[in-house]
Amino acid sequence: MLLSVRNLQTHLHLRRGVLRAVDGVSLDVAEGETLGLVGESGSGKTMTGLSLLRLLPKGSGRIAGGSISLDGRELTTLSESELVREIRGRRIAMIMQDPMTSLNPVFSIGDQVGNPLRNHDIARGTAVRAAVVDVLRRVRLPSPADRLDDHPHQFSGGQRQRIVAAMAIGCTPRLLIADEPTTALDVTIQVQIIGLLRQIQADTGAGIILITHDLGVAASLCHRIAVMYAGQIVETGPVRRIYRQPAHPYTRALLEAIPRLGAKRGRLAAIQGQPPSLIDPPTGCRFAPRCALRMDKCAEAPPEITLADGHRAACWKLADA
Amino acid sequence: MLELDGLTRHYRTRHGVVRAVENVSLTLRAGGTLALVGESGCGKTTIAKMILQLEQPDAGTIRFEGADVAHMDRAALHRYRRDVMAVFQDPYASLNPRMRVANIIAEPILAHEKPGRAALDKRIAEVLDIVGLPVSAARLYPHEFSGGQRQRIAIARALALQPRLMVLDEPVSALDVSIRAQVLNLLQDIQDQFGLTYLIIAHDLALVEHFSSDVAVIYLGRVAEAGPTAEVFAGPRHPYTQALLAAVPLPDPDHVLSEAAAAGEIASALNPPPGCRFNPRCPRAQDICRTTVPELRGTPHAAACHLVSEPPRT
Repeated sequence: MLLSVRNLQTHLHLRRGVLRAVDGVSLDVAEGETLGLVGESGSGKTMTGLSLLRLLPKGSGRIAGGSISLDGRELTTLSESELVREIRGRRIAMIMQDPMTSLNPVFSIGDQVGNPLRNHDIARGTAVRAAVVDVLRRVRLPSPADRLDDHPHQFSGGQRQRIVAAMAIGCTPRLLIADEPTTALDVTIQVQIIGLLRQIQADTGAGIILITHDLGVAASLCHRIAVMYAGQIVETGPVRRIYRQPAHPYTRALLEAIPRLGAKRGRLAAIQGQPPSLIDPPTGCRFAPRCALRMDKCAEAPPEITLADGHRAACWKLADA
Repeated sequence: MLELDGLTRHYRTRHGVVRAVENVSLTLRAGGTLALVGESGCGKTTIAKMILQLEQPDAGTIRFEGADVAHMDRAALHRYRRDVMAVFQDPYASLNPRMRVANIIAEPILAHEKPGRAALDKRIAEVLDIVGLPVSAARLYPHEFSGGQRQRIAIARALALQPRLMVLDEPVSALDVSIRAQVLNLLQDIQDQFGLTYLIIAHDLALVEHFSSDVAVIYLGRVAEAGPTAEVFAGPRHPYTQALLAAVPLPDPDHVLSEAAAAGEIASALNPPPGCRFNPRCPRAQDICRTTVPELRGTPHAAACHLVSEPPRT
């Protein structure tokens, strides 16, 4: 397995108390596979991604337990300098939501795409420029050789996201974490970036973790899906199982709550209430307070039930069935 | 109810003239919901701002129940301003954090009338009840509410003067998926209950199909296609509308997205291409598309495309 995460616990130490942002997450990503980490804001999907790179908020964030193994190598025990040298940007790279915040406005894109190549000794001296042109060509930026000295503001939103992708794939990482990579883009540009991620994966065999709240984007790109709620994965499985036979009441409710193109619905099935606070989460199933199928037993932590090959969900209802 | 005729708005900048809105004509039917659809920078928010009198058009007219808004006297304009209200995208930005909810809701009321304390409190309690918040919410500040509840407060404020038309600018896009349905259902209930007319700006096409009765697809400041939502979505005529619909990822792993329908980048409104503004990205563009601006033809389902007489995509 390329990436194996077991029982990951990430805490944010805030003035109000300890926020359990990631609370017992386990997941696997195989080479050439895309795992969709789907959930709402505050569900812990971005914190899970940042934990893999140990890029947690300075001072407050720390990994409190669990293991992260990449190609069999444990990452949680590595020192900061080992992480910087061998993992971050080298074996695991990240594409963020807003290309304007991941690009520095005062440096040329040639400099910025070249930086990781220099830092990780992929290319040196005069070879860097040629390597940058090559990687920009791979993300299909038009006429890259003429644009190395241009700055981020001289590019459109879609082009900027291509440049961010170029920064991420320059060192041919084994794992790519894409955090809402298309959310800031218009739909006809979004489809181009989705195509680009697919092509990068086909070319490099990288595993991808796609973090998104958009069930459409996840369906179009992912092989497997993990649904997060309140810091935990409540259901995981092959993409077709999740969309065709969702098992967890939260997954089902999410799929019911969104309007679907070409399938006019009378009234949307809203999920009442809102997600719990992760400083003092409810004991037992965290979705129970909003769940239409709630039972007394849900006050205890639900067991994870295997429904089919690789399809698991944590719910008492499934334990009884 | 509301008619836009030849609406045009240009911005003069250092780099030249931004043709944000160009000759836009649209009609809102009373009790209907018109959705403005298009990519960021296409001019849909500028259109909304002109309707809300936050911007003045360079050319064209806005007629509300037959009266030209530009030629209204003070009293009529005052009346117009209470008939037309808005709910914006981000309830974190649109509510003053230093004001209690009661004052947030009272503000538009007090700008238009002088009710007594008891009558004002009663009105505030009424609109809070309509949007599904307890009366006790009135004493609290915005930060004590979640995003969905804040949007309910913004809706309550918009409702306080019993408007007839509401401009909804991306009303749920800042909210979480599980909360969006709550707010959309609330907006539909309010519309049914009070016979409101909506103008909604949205980029989520599934939401537009679900929520609106009519739709106008805007590309670089011009109307590309307009008509009853069901007809436009079932048989899009303009290649841009077709491209938009083909690019929407569906929550269905077997759905295949089409990247080919709109290649390239969205052009700049600073220097829009001559002829049909979509022609550089259009897979079917011909010579005429590069020279002549196509007229919006057809009723009620209209498209601005030289090729529209060809059979639509199957």
